[in-house]
Amino acid sequence: MRTAIITDEQRKKAFNNSKKPEVLEKQKLNVRYHVEDFDVNDRPRRFLEAFAAILKHSNYRMALDHFSRVAARCSRCTVNCQIYQATGDPKDIPCYRSELLLDVYRRHFTLGGMIKGRLLGSGYLTDEKIQEMAESYWNCTACRRCVLECPMGIDHGLITHLARYILSEIGIVPRALVVSVREQLEGASRNTSAVPVPALKDTLEFLEDDMREEKSVEIKFPTDVENSEYVFFAPVSDYLMEAETLMGIAAVFAVTGDKWTIGTGYFDAINYGLFYNDRVMERVIKNVDEETRRLNGKNVLIGECGHASRVAKNFMPTFCGGRDARPVVSILEYTHKAWKEGRLKLDPDVITEKVVYHDPCNFARNGWIVNQPREVLKGFCKNYVEMTPAGENNICCGGGGGAVSLDEIRPYRTTIGGKMKADQIRKSGAEIVVAPCANCKKQLRELVEDQKLDCRVVGLHDLIYKAIVFDDSMKVGEEEETGREVK
Amino acid sequence: MGSLLEFARGPLFRFSFTVMVLGLARILFIDIWGAYKAYSKAGDKKMPWQLIRSRGFEWVFPMKRIIRNPHIYSVFSIFFHIGLIIVPIFLFAHINLWKQSVGVSWPALPYHSAMWLTVATIFFAAMMLFWRAFVKSISSLSRGQDYLWLLLLLVPFITGFVCANLSIGAGTYRFVMLVHTFSADLIFLLMPFSKIAHCVLAPLSQVVGALAWKFPPETDHDISLVLNKSRNIEVKG
Repeated sequence: MRTAIITDEQRKKAFNNSKKPEVLEKQKLNVRYHVEDFDVNDRPRRFLEAFAAILKHSNYRMALDHFSRVAARCSRCTVNCQIYQATGDPKDIPCYRSELLLDVYRRHFTLGGMIKGRLLGSGYLTDEKIQEMAESYWNCTACRRCVLECPMGIDHGLITHLARYILSEIGIVPRALVVSVREQLEGASRNTSAVPVPALKDTLEFLEDDMREEKSVEIKFPTDVENSEYVFFAPVSDYLMEAETLMGIAAVFAVTGDKWTIGTGYFDAINYGLFYNDRVMERVIKNVDEETRRLNGKNVLIGECGHASRVAKNFMPTFCGGRDARPVVSILEYTHKAWKEGRLKLDPDVITEKVVYHDPCNFARNGWIVNQPREVLKGFCKNYVEMTPAGENNICCGGGGGAVSLDEIRPYRTTIGGKMKADQIRKSGAEIVVAPCANCKKQLRELVEDQKLDCRVVGLHDLIYKAIVFDDSMKVGEEEETGREVK
Repeated sequence: MGSLLEFARGPLFRFSFTVMVLGLARILFIDIWGAYKAYSKAGDKKMPWQLIRSRGFEWVFPMKRIIRNPHIYSVFSIFFHIGLIIVPIFLFAHINLWKQSVGVSWPALPYHSAMWLTVATIFFAAMMLFWRAFVKSISSLSRGQDYLWLLLLLVPFITGFVCANLSIGAGTYRFVMLVHTFSADLIFLLMPFSKIAHCVLAPLSQVVGALAWKFPPETDHDISLVLNKSRNIEVKG
């Protein structure tokens, strides 16, 4: 039997809804995230229409059919859900959440459910049920840790993903995500942070200057170079907030000498489609592919970003040519390989603090990237420690599934979503938390602030940038460091 | 009562057993056919077989997972399932019935092992019921069928134990045996139409889960068309 680990006061703060009454009245929807105004009429019918269309043109029906038959409702998923562990509220049990959608599926899309519903005159989809789904499915961080513990193999993360997809088709989707995606797919900048190309180029030039000053090495961010081995897509927020991550990546390429480039036609790896809509996901991933083909790059290289890497890795073949799709490589894989081959040398005396690695769910849950960054870190961080559990069974930072982009729910994220992670970090005693994911980094920094943790959060390449060893032949002269015209 | 017992053991058993076999075969076929169609439609046909295998086997032999992440109800459930599967199949009396009717037999459990396993199964089922009824995290998820199934599964175990171990009069014995046989028939009959279908479907769960993430390649085009949505980011519903 478990009890909630957050206090009533924390709960009140976390679930506080600051929306004005007139907004709630107008939207007829009481959720903590902001939603753009949408058609409130006839929502159940439109929900079912969207559900039917999605079932017809996807592979979800097979899964829902299977899951709705085998669901045993044993509550074992509670042991792995950081939301339930923090709230103790049965409505936060992954299985309970999944049943919200499975019930609609059984009632409206299976013969038995339809007959039973008609006979009993019950089970109709109502506005109240939609309200409950709209709240519940965005309380989940879609970390998929519960999937590991379901004896029946029910993928609650998939159901959350599908429910959000259907809700988004009737207009229920966090405004922060939609606005970003609109700019990415229809705006002039073609990225989620609205960074124009001249600003990108300025940033890159500025970073190059910084690296020249700090490392006395000429390190470039090549743009629009055709026929490169790698076309690089970073989460665009890195260009605004994660300078050291980018410099670390550029430094790695400087020592390996491999040909890489950033396309100015499209350079944002972020794909919020994974969080709320497959149609969006498809369009974003096609843009990545299109840019790679424009530059005739051989591989798609994704920066430090869990969800973007997973989307590209898993869905590039789906939407961009099956077996003929461009291979997708994560920067973590690339760096690990370079380090293994001895092409990347790291000074073991630079990082002396206690370092711990946080697994981004989208890298680790399916066992894709677990050991690679650890091997690199252990190779140059003298004081490396592990959190428990870690790897495939890691605990989500609390900002997964797009939650981190919703600033209005920060109290929820740092009080409930990230509570277990905060405890885990505190227990590790780490001074540096390495999180190679833009979303995790933002969430963990807010967690450090709100939960008063005594550590700092960095990306893997931030540390690599500090410890990287350049050959003397790469060093530029004193006068070259200070005056660019000398080149 | 004797003829009723013969009916329950004979025609009714054959009927319910056939319904169970055909019903489970039907849903297994539906599941496999659905998976095949999903695979055919998928844009990416590369399946993570190693992951599917390892996660599937983890739940065939779940002790490691249970020890790593304890959950009391799961512990009860595992021990309950051991008895639930082994006792009816390897009980000497049951094997004997098969031998008499269709002429096939297989090794039986020693008498005392079968009895202790029966007692353990009854105990763990009772604990599961208790947990379902009184532990909030489980009771809040439970439907009627979750309780009814545990009760129904308890009946043949309790009645079987009574018949095999207690000194009861011939009339009572026949009555208890009748309940035993009818309850078993009912279980067979209902299996394909309830959550007990997991006995054949659960091994496919990992494949189904992996396949569901394999989307058809033209999702955007097809769904936009059906929902009559322009292909911009229209969220006004």
